[in-house]
Amino acid sequence: MDFRSLFTRKSKSSSIATQRLQLILTQDRFEVSEDSMKKLQIELTEVLAKYFEFTMNSVSMSIKREGNSYVLMADFPYSKTNKIR
Amino acid sequence: MGKVIVITSGKGGVGKTTSTANLGTALAMIEKTVVIVDADVGLRNLDVVMGLESRVVYTSMDVIEKRCELSKALVKDRRVENLMLLAASQRNRKDDIRPEQMQDICEKLKEEYDFVLIDSPAGIEQGFHNAAAGADEAIIVTTPDLSAIRDADRIIGLLQNEGIEPINLVINRLSATLVRKGNMISKNDVLDILNIDLIGVIPEDTGVIASTNRGVPLVHTDRSPGAEAYMRIARRMIGQRVPIPDMREDSFLDQIANWFSRNK
Repeated sequence: MDFRSLFTRKSKSSSIATQRLQLILTQDRFEVSEDSMKKLQIELTEVLAKYFEFTMNSVSMSIKREGNSYVLMADFPYSKTNKIR
Repeated sequence: MGKVIVITSGKGGVGKTTSTANLGTALAMIEKTVVIVDADVGLRNLDVVMGLESRVVYTSMDVIEKRCELSKALVKDRRVENLMLLAASQRNRKDDIRPEQMQDICEKLKEEYDFVLIDSPAGIEQGFHNAAAGADEAIIVTTPDLSAIRDADRIIGLLQNEGIEPINLVINRLSATLVRKGNMISKNDVLDILNIDLIGVIPEDTGVIASTNRGVPLVHTDRSPGAEAYMRIARRMIGQRVPIPDMREDSFLDQIANWFSRNK
């Protein structure tokens, strides 16, 4: 348990801002709509679900700037119990 | 041969003109020769912030349309040696100038001056492209809020497409108190999101208002946190290694928490 959470009653507005910003910038950098992103997310999960046991919508995607290019990152939470089919 | 640096942001009102005025003045104070160029055609303000509005006779438009020599259009600063201003025309529109014409002015200026700082207009249209046309490098000014950071991100992409490098970041109006209370995006979060090099952090400094009222850039004010921050950026711009001081963004509680996690 985080020591700090004992003293903070509600989530800080700065962390809400940072989370919103990450999402906004991912969409801006992709130059695609929220709908297409959701679709891509679902399809990616479906492909991986053929090999691993996943709960739908568990994937999160972002685009990070690395020097002059962008790197697309998709995070799939994976645990040992998600055995390979 | 000098350097042309465009100072830009995307969003308006984040401190481009204030930063251009202060960095130009600061560089001249540390013995560099500097021209600050107002690229905001139709909405010029750099002359006002510098307190030079009564001295402007010619503008970049007069130079482009060959009504006067470039050297004659430069206005000498009232306070610092080696600091010149090239004002923008107030009667023209941004698309009355073509990028090649701005580029030409920049080429000529950097032959004679160490630094040419271009104060870009807000937006991503023609005015911004003109401002960036002759630039070797860029400084992005942002404030720690959603809209300014989003716009900065867009501008960084556009500058990278134009091959402008390096692109350095100035975070303006950061309040360590608000960051501590969790009500302002922190320096590290801004850096994490934009992922470009930081050249300085300007703390929120109410002295800026009085300095604009007087037409005297903040760097002339002693012991002002904003002035000191701008002076440090100027020193980094001439290649000195000046550390970016920690603004104590962490609360007392965070510091205790950090201490515990370090000693686990």
